[in-house]
Amino acid sequence: MSDQVLPADAAPAAPRSGRRRGGDWLLVLRQNGSLLFAIALFALLYLGYHLAHPRGFTTQVLVQNANEAFTLAMVAMAQTIPVLLGGLDLSVGAVMTMVNCIASHLVIGSPGQIALGILACLASGALAGFVNGCVVVYGRIPPIIATLATAAIAIGVALLLRPTPGGKLDEDLNWAMTNSVADFAETFGLADGGKAPWLAPVAWLPVPVVLLVLVVVLVWLPFRRTVTGRTIYAIGSSESAAYMSGLPLNRAKIAAFTLAGFFAGVGGLFLAIQTSSGNADLPQAGAYTLNSIASVVIGGTSLVGGSGGPVGSIFGTLVLRVISFGFRVFDIPPLLQPLFEGLVLLAAVSLGAARALRVRNTLDLFR
Amino acid sequence: MTALRVSGVALAGLLLSSVVAFAGPKVVNGPGADPQCFKPWTEKTKYLQWDKKPGPYRIAVVNGFVGNTWRIQMIKTAKAYSEQPGVKENIKDFKVVSTGTDVAAQLGAIEDFINQGYDAIITLAVSPEGFDRVIRLADKNNVVIVPFDNILDTDKVMQVNEDQKEMGRMSAKWLLDKMGKKEGKVLEVRGLPGNSVDRDRHLGFREVMEAPGNKFQIVEVVGNWDDGTAQKATADAIAVHGHFDGVFTQGGSTGSVRAMMDAKHPFVPMAGEGENGYRKLIAQHTKDGLQGLSYGQSAGLVAIATKAAISALQGNPMPQLISIPIPVATSDTLKDGVNYWSNLTDNFFTPNDFPPCGVTITATEIMAKDEKNTQ
Repeated sequence: MSDQVLPADAAPAAPRSGRRRGGDWLLVLRQNGSLLFAIALFALLYLGYHLAHPRGFTTQVLVQNANEAFTLAMVAMAQTIPVLLGGLDLSVGAVMTMVNCIASHLVIGSPGQIALGILACLASGALAGFVNGCVVVYGRIPPIIATLATAAIAIGVALLLRPTPGGKLDEDLNWAMTNSVADFAETFGLADGGKAPWLAPVAWLPVPVVLLVLVVVLVWLPFRRTVTGRTIYAIGSSESAAYMSGLPLNRAKIAAFTLAGFFAGVGGLFLAIQTSSGNADLPQAGAYTLNSIASVVIGGTSLVGGSGGPVGSIFGTLVLRVISFGFRVFDIPPLLQPLFEGLVLLAAVSLGAARALRVRNTLDLFR
Repeated sequence: MTALRVSGVALAGLLLSSVVAFAGPKVVNGPGADPQCFKPWTEKTKYLQWDKKPGPYRIAVVNGFVGNTWRIQMIKTAKAYSEQPGVKENIKDFKVVSTGTDVAAQLGAIEDFINQGYDAIITLAVSPEGFDRVIRLADKNNVVIVPFDNILDTDKVMQVNEDQKEMGRMSAKWLLDKMGKKEGKVLEVRGLPGNSVDRDRHLGFREVMEAPGNKFQIVEVVGNWDDGTAQKATADAIAVHGHFDGVFTQGGSTGSVRAMMDAKHPFVPMAGEGENGYRKLIAQHTKDGLQGLSYGQSAGLVAIATKAAISALQGNPMPQLISIPIPVATSDTLKDGVNYWSNLTDNFFTPNDFPPCGVTITATEIMAKDEKNTQ
């Protein structure tokens, strides 16, 4: 993906022949091999799940799956950005948990209060990420250490806000966000209560899926096109080269962590809406951080940075989740399930990395 | 702003009406079925009744965290119980999954089983909050959800547990009785901080120990319900305080006894959990003066929860919160092969008998259920 590092106007301006365009297409395919692999693996496993499920291929099942995957998908997207820099963010689960607890206090009341509460949640997620970025850039502490410390702070704040699980969120919001688009429209009296013909093509989609697409299209894709966004990839590929090219390294690093905090915040907010409560759950925060790293790897983002992207991580999350979906429809002995999950993950990661064995020159991996 | 408020009210009305439209259990008057076994928590506990469904039933156990002995034993017990004669006939499908400490995954699994048309879902909740949505869906689909052990902060579902406060009280009474005095120094080894079980056992214990007339100095240490931690905490406490007249250990009881033996502390009255190792030590040293009480949060609760689910599906009125009699053994009642097993490991949880419920799962039965068993 290193070509994305180049500003768009740096690409050769020569008119492209048909043959060249065919080459581009192949190149794009090759560069996104891991992503395509994750998508294919997910599609295969998910198809099997639906076929075995007594109510497979229904909105009901889609809605349930989407609810279960959304928060982790957001946390995995959050993890991806620091990984693109070549670092790891150990605070994503903690920031998610912190925002979860904040939301359990603020997202209730009149529509105006709810809207303000949601903004406050997203802002505090972004702020936590911004602090991470500043510690890494100005404190000159490696991300893995810096975020280990800030994770503890975030959990501390969460515990302060919710010493015991509890709180309450708006019930309508809970119902609307965790169901299909039609239910969403019905709850809020939009589009003729969800029955408008123009809504029909998307009415069956789960709201979390729509939300995920919106986050990618409205936040990530525009961001990646900016100089700051491309600099993140450049730093991951070669920090010294990026520096020599005069790219804004510090700005990109801070932006990367801030965006990660924002994504984690969206996840925490959704978890709060979904559970209608906040819980400063330490083991859960840890589980989310670990699973986010697994999602990133399955999604084809290189842990040394510079290649991959959050979209891959979304599919990484889906692969991770669909494996445990399988335990509910296939007969796998309960105490063998973790082993089985581990084997599938190992296979997925190994197959994803297999292309490293095939290349003649390791530089090809980055081309 | 007025328009907003009006639409808000309309919305709330819409939501309310949809809530009313949901099915779910009826609140009825007791007594319920099998009152010896399904004992209501208090006199005020309400009774729930679901529509009778024809059996056999499809039942799923949605566990959270897996990875300590108790949970593994619980899973094995669930399998063993589902195959006992008299139970097997009522069960068409019995599935066990563990979701880890992730509430989204646990909620997802429960919702998935509701979607699949399961009749009852037994769960150890990862969090006491957050289940509103699945409870709503379960009610809508006439599915019985039964949280046990780690239960929910709600009165909308039927739940099964042992009275943790009573365990504390019972331990304190035993110590008072065996110490035979009203003052002295007592060691309290607590469990995992912040957990409601730890809190309740502690409160029950203090309630009796600190009753008017008693003058005990209670030394409190944290043992995390873990043998190693409890052993170290007990050893430290003995090193500092020299002598205790009695010991109450919430868990990791084997470790507490070992620490006392290592420190050459004379055997004093003890109250602790139901680990096999603890019971083995009590049995071995009763003649040396060790008087022990061992209560147990049984992994066999899963069996009672299953039994309660089947009973609810058969249309019987059930208490909303079921209090299971606490299985207790003392140095006087311990018997090898009955309530402890000298040939099994120390961290096997012994209490698996619930005579009032007619539920008996022997140790060999549980240990025989290896991981290969799925049917």
